[in-house]
Amino acid sequence: MTVTEQEITDYVARVRAALADLPPTQRDELTEDLADHLAEFAAETDGTLVERLGEPETYAAELRAAAGATGRGGRNLDQRVASAVVRVRARLRVLDTRLGPLLGYDTAGEFLRLLRPAWWVLRGYLAAMLVTVISTGGGFGLLPRFGGELLAGLFMLAGFVLASIWLGRRSAQLAGWPRWAVHAGSVVLAIFALAAVGNAEDRLGYNDYYYDQTSVDSQYSQVRDVFVYDSEGRLVENARLFDQNGNPIRLGYPDCSGPVDQYGNPLLRPYPYCLDQAPFGHRAPGAVVPTPTGTPEPTETPSTNPTAAVTPPATPGTPPATPTGEPSPTS
Amino acid sequence: MDTTQLLKGVLDLAVLAVLREEDGYGYDILRRLREAGLEEVGDASVYGTLRRLFAAGLLTTYVVPSESGPHRKYYALNAAGRDQLTRSGKLWRSFATTMDSLLDDRGMAA
Repeated sequence: MTVTEQEITDYVARVRAALADLPPTQRDELTEDLADHLAEFAAETDGTLVERLGEPETYAAELRAAAGATGRGGRNLDQRVASAVVRVRARLRVLDTRLGPLLGYDTAGEFLRLLRPAWWVLRGYLAAMLVTVISTGGGFGLLPRFGGELLAGLFMLAGFVLASIWLGRRSAQLAGWPRWAVHAGSVVLAIFALAAVGNAEDRLGYNDYYYDQTSVDSQYSQVRDVFVYDSEGRLVENARLFDQNGNPIRLGYPDCSGPVDQYGNPLLRPYPYCLDQAPFGHRAPGAVVPTPTGTPEPTETPSTNPTAAVTPPATPGTPPATPTGEPSPTS
Repeated sequence: MDTTQLLKGVLDLAVLAVLREEDGYGYDILRRLREAGLEEVGDASVYGTLRRLFAAGLLTTYVVPSESGPHRKYYALNAAGRDQLTRSGKLWRSFATTMDSLLDDRGMAA
């Protein structure tokens, strides 16, 4: 026998490829036996398969003609679907070769094939992030965590990425349901990725809306209100904070009722928002109310004369000995 | 019109006919058809026809180990196959007779 197993396998693969437009069951029916048949044929003849039988594509065309005469039910629909698939594939092939030069390659497919390993790595990361979301329940950042544990999450990430690459390198040899499982899993992860990106986009948009024009770092996210005390330990009311560029520093959010309407936007209210929540009392009894120079201006342009450019002291010098306890919100 | 086109319609009948005399495997059937005069028949046509007749329930198969080379898959007629051969054979004979007389009437030499 002059024909090798490999030659037969290749020949069958090319025949199957030429019959790719047939319904899978019909194609399998035609070719499941073909390798054995060709081995039998090769044992009795000399020369290569191509010399004896012609090109696989020619063989496939003859096989299709010989087997296509069956008139079982449903064939018409099958044939219509098959021819539609062929047309779509032809269009895609044209698109493939048209787009290729734009990317600097012969075909777009050639370029996309180069990106495949990158997708395998990304797929592993996405799988790790999916487990992160499931195991930590909702809130997540960019790094995977397993049940909230970062180290375990990183181990999981490494494992998933390696597994994804391993699967990617072998997916060509998979057939039947394992192949479908890999494809379905990839689709699920792609949908998850799109949902996560959309979610992140929303969250960033949220931040833009509320924290525009601030120079506040996230370490102040716990701050709800700001209380300014002067050197005498008196609480400064209607204080405003600005950074070196004259941008107002907005910290916290007024969660008590106050003179909202005066400024329209509650975030333009001066500090403190909630006078009666002052940690050290309001002011010493009888002390002069520390009015800032000039009345607080409702305008947002502080460049001319910031009304009270003070920074909150870490510890007020001397807390008043006797807190009065009577809240007197000045409006 | 060449023989290939004519063959398409009657290859079923030809394969059933050569299997009636004796069971055969793929290449053996091809050789017998060619020896009988159908020299243009191709392996893919015979193989495709065998697969189709088998799928239609007209043939049975069995595997015979070969002392030299790969196993051989033998095809054999079953009862349905023999029925089909009888019916198709009759149809072909009446069709051939019709064609013969059609040509004879118009003075075509055989």
